[in-house]
Amino acid sequence: MASPITTWEGAEVIFTFADKPGMISLILIISIIATVCAIVATIRHESHSYIDYHE
Amino acid sequence: METSVPSTVELQALLDMTTTINMEVFYWWCTALMVIIHAGFLAYEMGASRLKNALASGVKNILAFAFIVPTFFFFGWWIYLAMYGGFIPDFEAGAGGVPWSLSMGPNLTDNATGIFWGAFVLFAATTASIMSGAVIERIRMSAFIILAIILGSGVWILAAAWGWHPDGWLTTEWGFHDFGAAGCVHMIAGFFALGVIINLGSRLGRFDAKGKPVAIEGHSMPMTVIGLMLIIVGFFGFLGGCIIYSGTGQWTTIFGTPATLSAVSFNTLMAFSGGLIGGYMITRQPFWMMSGGLAGIISAAPGLELYYPPMAFLIALFAGSVAPLVDKFITNKFKLDDAVGAFAVHGVSGMIGLVALGIFAAGYPNVNGPDISFMGQLNGALVMAALGFIPGYVVSLVMSKMGMLRVPPKAEIAGLDLVEVPLKAYPEGVPASVSEKSVTI
Repeated sequence: MASPITTWEGAEVIFTFADKPGMISLILIISIIATVCAIVATIRHESHSYIDYHE
Repeated sequence: METSVPSTVELQALLDMTTTINMEVFYWWCTALMVIIHAGFLAYEMGASRLKNALASGVKNILAFAFIVPTFFFFGWWIYLAMYGGFIPDFEAGAGGVPWSLSMGPNLTDNATGIFWGAFVLFAATTASIMSGAVIERIRMSAFIILAIILGSGVWILAAAWGWHPDGWLTTEWGFHDFGAAGCVHMIAGFFALGVIINLGSRLGRFDAKGKPVAIEGHSMPMTVIGLMLIIVGFFGFLGGCIIYSGTGQWTTIFGTPATLSAVSFNTLMAFSGGLIGGYMITRQPFWMMSGGLAGIISAAPGLELYYPPMAFLIALFAGSVAPLVDKFITNKFKLDDAVGAFAVHGVSGMIGLVALGIFAAGYPNVNGPDISFMGQLNGALVMAALGFIPGYVVSLVMSKMGMLRVPPKAEIAGLDLVEVPLKAYPEGVPASVSEKSVTI
């Protein structure tokens, strides 16, 4: 089950799916990698744009 | 029918919950208003760009927002909580700000962390937008993103931890006081931008062969001026986010000293007017009028909860007058191309504001440190200037040496919309402002 709780009684933290340290770490690491990859992709896009552009 | 009477405990619980939710609602709408700052910066920058760069400037501005939000989640909030004492972090205090903390997400027992995090993220994005305007039309998108992350998720929040935090060392050691974040937001961003534009260089054609400045006009002054007015609208959210709503007593500043929104209302509006008039008196044109209005609020920001309103007006009048002169000076003397005057408006006005508070509010008591003093404010301003300038200069210098900072001349001449985006801002052309008939006449 993706939900860490099955009742509202006493419920506090609700990180659905990310309810275990391993899963929190995995999602966080993927998010960081996605952010870094987006910057790298921007650098590549720019470099190609400058090369591919013809007046 | 029998009605049950709530117990005192139940009534207290209801009151506590209402107070908590009121706090959430207040900051929620402050954050929403701060998004309007970014609508303003977006219009402002696109209008200040030539037609060939209008969309690229817009994309750049939006990307600052896009990358600062996740990176501020990854490490920005932790810096604020942990590094109030200098460069050595307090890991215990910072524990609530690490991205795996149980406070950093949906938590039914924590109504505060997310709403404060959101407001601080908007402050962070504002710093990047300030820098963004200065570097338009020639910076590489990727270089800008990296610089924006360093500024918005690193440098500004470190400055906030030092000088905009109840236990920040600038306050506890020197009595530094800055209600409206003129130092950690505006000075940091303005001086960071100055460091970057030194290494970035001016736009092609900005100076002639003899080094004389040549005006490069944006494609839409109305868009720029409306954008500036939107920034002013958003400023009310920004300044609302600078006051602490406890729900159980008087509002306080982030330093714990008492304050009222009423005082902030008086002085924000008076300062805005003073800055507008200052800009108008010096230049007679709308760009510097509106920028003067912005400079005026920034210059009064450190003491918006303290000043007699005409005092805020006069400080702002001075800052609004000085901003266009400083911009002209750095352009003529140092051949710097700050496309929107970000250093003059944010960096210099922030500094004027911090020092002015040391003069006009000296002796006012702080909660966690010595009284406000001229030297405390001056030294705090110098720390802000250095903390903003050094990383901006050093990182952009390294990028410049690596060929990562500036677009190639061919792309700059062709226009970044065509080369990078590639779309046209006005594919059907811009309607002529003068009719054929009137030209004939």
